[in-house]
Amino acid sequence: MTAYDVHELMVTRVAAEVDEDGVTVMGSFTPLAYASYMLAKLTHAPNAYLVGFDAVGMAPIQLSFTGAEAAAYKGAVCRWGMLTEINSIHLSNHGGVEAVSSAQFDGDGAINLSTIGPFDKPKVRLPGGAGAAEVIKMYRKMIAYFGNHNSRTLVDKVEFVTGTRWKVGAEARRKAGLQPGPIIVVTNLAVLVKDEDGEPFRIESVHPGVDPQMVVENTGFALDVPSEVPTTAEPTEQQLELLRNRIDPFGTVKFDFLSGKERLPYLKGILDAEWKRAEARVR
Amino acid sequence: MTPPPTDKVVPLDELGDLVADGESVAFGGGWFANHPMAAVRQLIRAGRKDIHAITVVGSVDMDLLAAAGVLGHLSFSMVTLEAFGLAPNVRKAIETASVPFTEYTGLGLLIGLEAQGRGMPFLPYRGPFGSDLPARYPEIYATTTCPFTGEELTAVRALQPDVAIVHALRCDAEGNAQWDGTSGPDVDMAKAARRVIVTCEEIVDRSVIAQNPHMTKLPGYYVDAVVEAPFGAHPTSHIPRYSMDAWELMDYAGQAGTDEFGGYVDRIRSESEDDYRARVLTGRDVVLAALVDAAETLEGANL
Repeated sequence: MTAYDVHELMVTRVAAEVDEDGVTVMGSFTPLAYASYMLAKLTHAPNAYLVGFDAVGMAPIQLSFTGAEAAAYKGAVCRWGMLTEINSIHLSNHGGVEAVSSAQFDGDGAINLSTIGPFDKPKVRLPGGAGAAEVIKMYRKMIAYFGNHNSRTLVDKVEFVTGTRWKVGAEARRKAGLQPGPIIVVTNLAVLVKDEDGEPFRIESVHPGVDPQMVVENTGFALDVPSEVPTTAEPTEQQLELLRNRIDPFGTVKFDFLSGKERLPYLKGILDAEWKRAEARVR
Repeated sequence: MTPPPTDKVVPLDELGDLVADGESVAFGGGWFANHPMAAVRQLIRAGRKDIHAITVVGSVDMDLLAAAGVLGHLSFSMVTLEAFGLAPNVRKAIETASVPFTEYTGLGLLIGLEAQGRGMPFLPYRGPFGSDLPARYPEIYATTTCPFTGEELTAVRALQPDVAIVHALRCDAEGNAQWDGTSGPDVDMAKAARRVIVTCEEIVDRSVIAQNPHMTKLPGYYVDAVVEAPFGAHPTSHIPRYSMDAWELMDYAGQAGTDEFGGYVDRIRSESEDDYRARVLTGRDVVLAALVDAAETLEGANL
């Protein structure tokens, strides 16, 4: 077994949810989500239908901070704009698997990307949710991922609901004109699942070496803990090879897992490598 | 005899005269892609103030406007410097309550523009049910019902910016504008606005546009002014010409929250756009173009 980092296990677990049913729109370059979709496309779901930026039906791409957007257009079969994507994918119920992250997330499947503190005069003004307010409700599967599983992020109730899954159970979702499908939370400790309204998230699996009690202690909302909690599947040699050598050779996914001081030097290192590769073509 | 084509070409250094203080301006692009940055810089140089900026997913464009004191109001669904962090000057403006703001849901903002673009006072859709945002803005969001089934729907009010500014790949003098990469919200902003300014990488003859008419996303009858601005989205990207300038953005993010940042803004104020390009892009322009060429797709592995 090759040693691996937890962000690699998170990528393989999110990738496992990606299938060939429906369309996924990725907005800006979010490395973990992008890596998961690319891994799925290179393995079990080659026909997963992806939109990146305005590139519709894109080919799998190599990840980089400066090249992801350009790469998305290179193998794409169509170009749309934001409003066409909204009307043709989100609102017409073609959305497949949506992966999001947020500053706060709660046991109802609500996200906060708006504010910490009062809305009109916040302590921290967060970026805003872009389309997430509507989209996490519309998609068949909602995946929320968090690199640092703690009770400040996974809270009992978010301070402000930017958006929410709204209806969770299959029947309630069908009645509301939505595609049935679960909420799946993938963190650095565990996988949590919710597929009924009025029921708590349950621990689907813990990552190797993690005790279910540790997950409970680090989660701000109630959890259903089954008597036997399975261990999350580890990345295979083939998955690690694809991730490290083909999908993400610059190491963009790891960036989001670094703490304050490490981040800037690491980012500079990646950008330096991206610059050198491009510069070699023109010098 | 065919009349001569309408000439809407305006030099960049006159762009500031096309927008009045206090007007609402929708800025195109999204994320680190294709924001009309040359126009942003020119509005700063022109000393515009009290501008109500509208963005779907803003980044360095909104942060720079906030830093330069141009904003009177900010309407957005997201503003972020992504890998480089939260947008420090937008944060400061909102956290100190010095700039009033409207936080839209992303689809709500675009559907508001769509409504205006097709002459409707509002449009209904399956909205952000459960979100706390609509109740904050009863003048924008309301609940309505389907007249046929009684289904509860969200109504979003039409949004008409005074001006839309978008950046295209190329455009002719009549305003027929083409894109080959990310156009984001540009076309829908233009259709909703009272007046439209297209900045572009290059102004071309109408015959060049007519060679690839399928690339024209905005026909000229919407457009009031055409401004040539090479590298006009820099430091954001304009695919397929150049990638985002992550180095300039890193530099920006490093300074933007500090007391010395006034110097960064003052320098933009005091130089022309030609000076800006000479200062920032000399030797770097070819690498930003090469980053687009170097970007790779992956052949299917599916082992």
